[in-house]
Amino acid sequence: MTNGNEPQKYIYRTQGVCPPEIHFQIEGEVLREVRFMGGGCPGNAQLVSRLLHHMPLKALPGLLGGISCKNKTSCPDQLFQALKKVEEGELLPARSFQIVADPQKRKRIALVGALDGRVGSLRALASRLKEEKIEMAYCLGNITGGSLADKALLQGLRKEKHFLAIQGDKDWALARQIISSASSVPLEPKEKDYFDSLGQVFTFQLGGSLGMGFYGRYLQDLPGYSDYEPFALEMNLISNLTQFMQDETVFPALLAMIPQFKAQVIAFSQVRKWGYWQVGGVEVISLGPALEEGKISCGILEERGGQLRFQIKEWPFTLEDESEP
Amino acid sequence: MADSVKALPEDIQAIIDIREWDMRTREGVNRFRELRAKSLPSVALDGELIYESLIPPQEELIAEIERRFNTRPTEGGED
Repeated sequence: MTNGNEPQKYIYRTQGVCPPEIHFQIEGEVLREVRFMGGGCPGNAQLVSRLLHHMPLKALPGLLGGISCKNKTSCPDQLFQALKKVEEGELLPARSFQIVADPQKRKRIALVGALDGRVGSLRALASRLKEEKIEMAYCLGNITGGSLADKALLQGLRKEKHFLAIQGDKDWALARQIISSASSVPLEPKEKDYFDSLGQVFTFQLGGSLGMGFYGRYLQDLPGYSDYEPFALEMNLISNLTQFMQDETVFPALLAMIPQFKAQVIAFSQVRKWGYWQVGGVEVISLGPALEEGKISCGILEERGGQLRFQIKEWPFTLEDESEP
Repeated sequence: MADSVKALPEDIQAIIDIREWDMRTREGVNRFRELRAKSLPSVALDGELIYESLIPPQEELIAEIERRFNTRPTEGGED
């Protein structure tokens, strides 16, 4: 049913049953990782998921089809409908966003906002962050600026082993153009592969805290985005409920939802303005651009004695910094 | 909150439609903002935010539903 053995993830929007979505994977001719999301009987759903894990697809119609629970359908029947749609080519694999996880536990990290295609800012920051003994810098996008200078920026970023970048909205659009060769930015195959491999969300471990970063709201428009994916709750509430923390009147509602968050640190860069909030045990950080008004800046987050400390660091940036090779 | 609304007597259930919004979803968040709600849980009646951050006593909720039901214009209009 799928090409090759790479598992393909699917999201099916149900009709007439309690869970609004069913998530599952197909690997070759086998069903995997069935999850009934957002409602229903959690215990039964978990049992069904376990029973169906690694089940051959051809064995499923007899098991799932025709079971009625409410509205002449049921969760198994909806899964059966979803698998039929996959077979008929009506339900395509969900792409959504890719999460890049930094596997190392960190003590001192940097958060970098929009680089906007300026390789000079990247070089200057890399030099400053080395002095600051930063273990890893996370760039939240946009890393590119939509000009020919993006080639130099991507080459520079690829060489920086202590920088982990994700795509902002312009990066994502440019990456799609470059892959389809519709872009005027002339990239070598290795640069294209690097750019395309950048995720849209990153996670990190800082001391005992789990952190996540994303650019902004464009992720919600990606094909296959689901409210039930990991970290979608954090992104939905920060982006849509609080309007990127700009609407403090809804903080009581945010506070009520925070116990369901996975992340204890959340960073975003869409607003292009520095901001820092501590709400219900979660640290929320809005990143300003890397270069603004003759200064380069980043946020430094460190864990010391079990506590997280955040500060914004700024350094002067001159035209010589911009042109220095 | 939804449980307390669902536990309303049958005669009250018969005159209302209940819609629960999930704040984990964008649809729920959008509705929350449309209602200009600030905290959870919140209850709106006829699209108007009535209760925030509290679960009203059942008698109070019933009285409010009945008041609205009895004061709404009859179908077809009335002069």
